Amino acid sequence: MVEEKKKQSNKVKDLSFKVVRASVTAILMYVLYLLVAALLAPVFELVPWLAETIEAFIVVYIVLMILGDLTRGTIFQHFFNVARALFLIAYLLVSMGEGAVSMSYENFNLTINLTMFYAFAVVLSLLGLATTVMKAISYLNERAEVASGFHQP
Amino acid sequence: MNVPIRMLGIATVILWVFLAAYIAVAAYSFKDLNIGAGEPVFAASTNGELLFAMPFYIDNRGVCSLKDLNITTVFSDTEGAKISTASTSVPLILHGQNTTVFHNVSLNMKDLLNKEEYLFGDADLTASITAGLTFAELLPVEISTNFTYPWGAPFYGFTFGQPSFRLINATHGSIIVPVSFENHAAFNVTGSMNTELRGSDDSVLGVAQAVFDVPQQSVYADDLEFIVPLDSATPTELRGGYFNVYFSTSLFEYGPLVIPYG
Repeated sequence: MVEEKKKQSNKVKDLSFKVVRASVTAILMYVLYLLVAALLAPVFELVPWLAETIEAFIVVYIVLMILGDLTRGTIFQHFFNVARALFLIAYLLVSMGEGAVSMSYENFNLTINLTMFYAFAVVLSLLGLATTVMKAISYLNERAEVASGFHQP
Repeated sequence: MNVPIRMLGIATVILWVFLAAYIAVAAYSFKDLNIGAGEPVFAASTNGELLFAMPFYIDNRGVCSLKDLNITTVFSDTEGAKISTASTSVPLILHGQNTTVFHNVSLNMKDLLNKEEYLFGDADLTASITAGLTFAELLPVEISTNFTYPWGAPFYGFTFGQPSFRLINATHGSIIVPVSFENHAAFNVTGSMNTELRGSDDSVLGVAQAVFDVPQQSVYADDLEFIVPLDSATPTELRGGYFNVYFSTSLFEYGPLVIPYG
């Protein structure tokens, strides 16, 4: 009885720790976004729609991050992390379009070709996806080792 | 396996930070970049070309250099056909550098002035200016604009008035035709105008020459006098026929311009 109560108490402790951790990470992420947004203010002035799309992206990204943190220590954490990496790649590919950003001012048209930037960002996202997949494999490997009794701490 | 994964994660984060920093630096540099254009200057050269010069002022106060600046101007006529193209290139503008780039375009007037519509009527030509450059080593940027250049015809409103006949002597008569036009061109028109007076049977009844030197935005008005033998040109023959006008200037030759009368 006492051990069961202890286990339950540990579970609650563990869950509350996960919640706190997820909240802190989300807040830090949002603060980082605000800092980067302040740095990128000149870009947002030139391309107003960019701020809105980035905000929507950040919301989804943080939600996936929170879910990943809440399911920490389970296989679902890796599902959410892979989903987050895939979402980032999808967002970059969708927002890339033709790879150029155009804006008009009076009689002038300004076109900035961001293909190189997008390509680099997609490569980094793929690297992130590879890392999460490797983490998932490592997790499953450790689980298998524990189950078979070969786990060496 | 955990250590390589962690290293990979750290490397990814560092590269993301580099990318974000690069974009922020590029954006700030772009904000500190001032590009301005001066008033275009038009001048006519003696070899039949209209020179169009436009100064571009580039003040690169950002931290990134500008590479491969290429300014291209395309002049098109009223139907959109290309008349002239010119490019100006600057390989490198370093950060902190203040540069003035003169972009010169020559417009071959001989091509334009071979067409009656540009010789005798005003028109709006279109100039498309495109400036492309590589910003912050990786970002190709292009700025483009269009403006219309009002083309002024050198013989705008060229008209012959009503011919009048007067007897000089028993064998010859004089046919006087008033001629007028306005020089709307960006250059002075200096040359001569040879005119044939032809009857309805295509026979040459008389020839007249006028020399003119008409400054820009000035009106020319004069009389052409055709001395004709009375046996070939009588007032009755003036009831039908046409003038063949040949223009000869230092910039172009044109003719015949056929003007019917009667």
